[in-house]
Amino acid sequence: MVSGLGNLVIKEVKEMLRDPKILIGMVLMPLIIFPVMGAAMNISQTAVEESLKEVSLALMDLDHGPMAENLILSFKALNVTLVEIEGTDVSEALNRLQGSNVTTLVVIPQGFSQNLTSGLKGELEVYSLINSLSFSEGAKSSVANAPINAYENLLVYRTIKEAFPDRAPETVLDPISLRNVIVFRGTIIEAPPEALMGLFMSQSFGFPMVIMLMLISAMQVAATSISIEKEEKTLETLLTLPIGRLSILTGKLAGSVVVAVAGAVAALIGINYYTTSIFSSVPTEELDLSALGLTLSPISYILLGVMMFVTIVSALALAICVATFSENVRSAQSLVGPLNILIVIPSLILMFADVEILPFPIQVIMYIIPYTHSIIAAKAAFVGDYFTMLRSIAYLSIFTAVILYIAAKIFTTERIVTARVSFRRFRKKTFSPK
Amino acid sequence: MLKKNAIEVRDLVKVFGDIRALDGLSFQVREREIYGLIGPNGAGKTTALRIIATLIKPTSGSAEVFGFDVVKDSSQIRKIISYLPEEAGAYKNLSGQEYLEFMANFYSKSREAAKAMVEEAAEISGLGERLKDKVKTYSKGMSRRLLIARALMTKPRLAILDEPTSGLDVVHAFHVRRIIKEYVREHGVTVLLSSHNMLEVEFLCDRVSLVNEGKILGEGSPQEIKSRYNAENLEEAFMEATKLG
Repeated sequence: MVSGLGNLVIKEVKEMLRDPKILIGMVLMPLIIFPVMGAAMNISQTAVEESLKEVSLALMDLDHGPMAENLILSFKALNVTLVEIEGTDVSEALNRLQGSNVTTLVVIPQGFSQNLTSGLKGELEVYSLINSLSFSEGAKSSVANAPINAYENLLVYRTIKEAFPDRAPETVLDPISLRNVIVFRGTIIEAPPEALMGLFMSQSFGFPMVIMLMLISAMQVAATSISIEKEEKTLETLLTLPIGRLSILTGKLAGSVVVAVAGAVAALIGINYYTTSIFSSVPTEELDLSALGLTLSPISYILLGVMMFVTIVSALALAICVATFSENVRSAQSLVGPLNILIVIPSLILMFADVEILPFPIQVIMYIIPYTHSIIAAKAAFVGDYFTMLRSIAYLSIFTAVILYIAAKIFTTERIVTARVSFRRFRKKTFSPK
Repeated sequence: MLKKNAIEVRDLVKVFGDIRALDGLSFQVREREIYGLIGPNGAGKTTALRIIATLIKPTSGSAEVFGFDVVKDSSQIRKIISYLPEEAGAYKNLSGQEYLEFMANFYSKSREAAKAMVEEAAEISGLGERLKDKVKTYSKGMSRRLLIARALMTKPRLAILDEPTSGLDVVHAFHVRRIIKEYVREHGVTVLLSSHNMLEVEFLCDRVSLVNEGKILGEGSPQEIKSRYNAENLEEAFMEATKLG
């Protein structure tokens, strides 16, 4: 038989996960919506790629010189479907091309070969036929760029070779060779800084995003768990059972943690699928992070776990304190909503900047907000900065202790039964006695 | 030797902001007695029941349940009482059976004891196979029967029932009243209830108090009260006592 607290936790989890609003909104939706978004992006990307394969390019040669012929050969060498247009009237050609699958008309004006062989700039006219404002239309219109650039490079190399027959063209075009070395906290590794981009992305965007999502959903769950007791008129019965009020609070916190973690895991799985769907075509440079000491040590893992636990408990307790003043689930969500600012602001700011580079007054505000420390600690975990992690955990623990004390006070007094906020007059009032 | 009272309420006062919900309420309930508080809305009946159920604290005065003080010994009191609020609900995403099991687990020391309690509740409620369905599919009458069964299955020394048949149709109200009367007689439970329904009070209660504006206007058996005010029924007696008629 389950004990009092275990009994409460099981009831909380059952009751919440069977609530369609929570089950669908928090667990199933992230599992469905993100992969669907990823799939939709993939479908459109594939469609753009497919449509590019069918692109044809029209060409009107008014020059008929040797350089123009070479340019046409360059187009053909790159397997571009080429429609050569006879005649000299560009407007008429453009009119004819409307409605066809040709998206670009390249006109080689008279004098093109003459200019290039005389050391002048050869002019080309590129007409893009755009029918709608979409990525696929934009991509189609730039289809002429690659063969033109290839031909241009060929001309440059040939000219350099003629001018400096003893030198490799690369030494003229790109005379300086870079050797990129990353020195990270004293460790040296030969790689360009861009190679760390993936890690920077996960630190700057990943951690704040994960913490933000988890805390917002945890607060919603906790607020619901207390307000639903009021809405369904079960709270008074619960408070007269032979179980301590603090056990009821602990049961609600523990039940909310279980549901919030389920929601966060669902969101992470969904987002992971979404990002891998979108970025599957983007090549990433491999870098040995362990060589730079950029992997999580066992101590970092433990401290990260402690930090997440303290963060979640404080957010849940905060939501429960606020939701105590609600009469039903809807008003609880409204009351808890403004608390999201405490999570969203540090998350957004720390996605783009470190606290140290912010103006001093903003730094002070950021350091006061407890959830800033959650993100700072998460970032510090990756570089093994235990001091920063411990400092953040200490601040979060003090904040959590204060909030838990307030929550316990509310639960152990009659405020849990009588407190409520009237939105009409927006003042705290007590229930009407019968 | 004098038998100790189940409930002793003395000069109970409760103030909410500007409202004096209870204004020196005093009454005693004897063990194994069904005692009713009757009065209009806002008379202070629910506030009194909430104080005795240890949900809220009195501003002044005292209340004892089987010798335990409602403020100092609230955790002791919660072990021996069962409180049914007027608008109580059950967890709608649990089945009736799960709800009863959840409640029984707080009162029983073994799995067998909890099982026996749930079986008892199933019999009291008369819900049969419907106990396997989720509470959200129940009608108001079925929910109330489930809640009454929950309140009585623990065989509490004191059952505090706030408007036990509130909002129920004649059939369900009749069933609930019968449950209370039979169960209390059979198991020697003391009951403190509040009601607007004078017929119900006459049928159920051994003694009643007429409550108005947080005070007791009169107390006695329904028969005594009717005789005192020379009234045909409790309704007339109440109107006479409050001079509202």
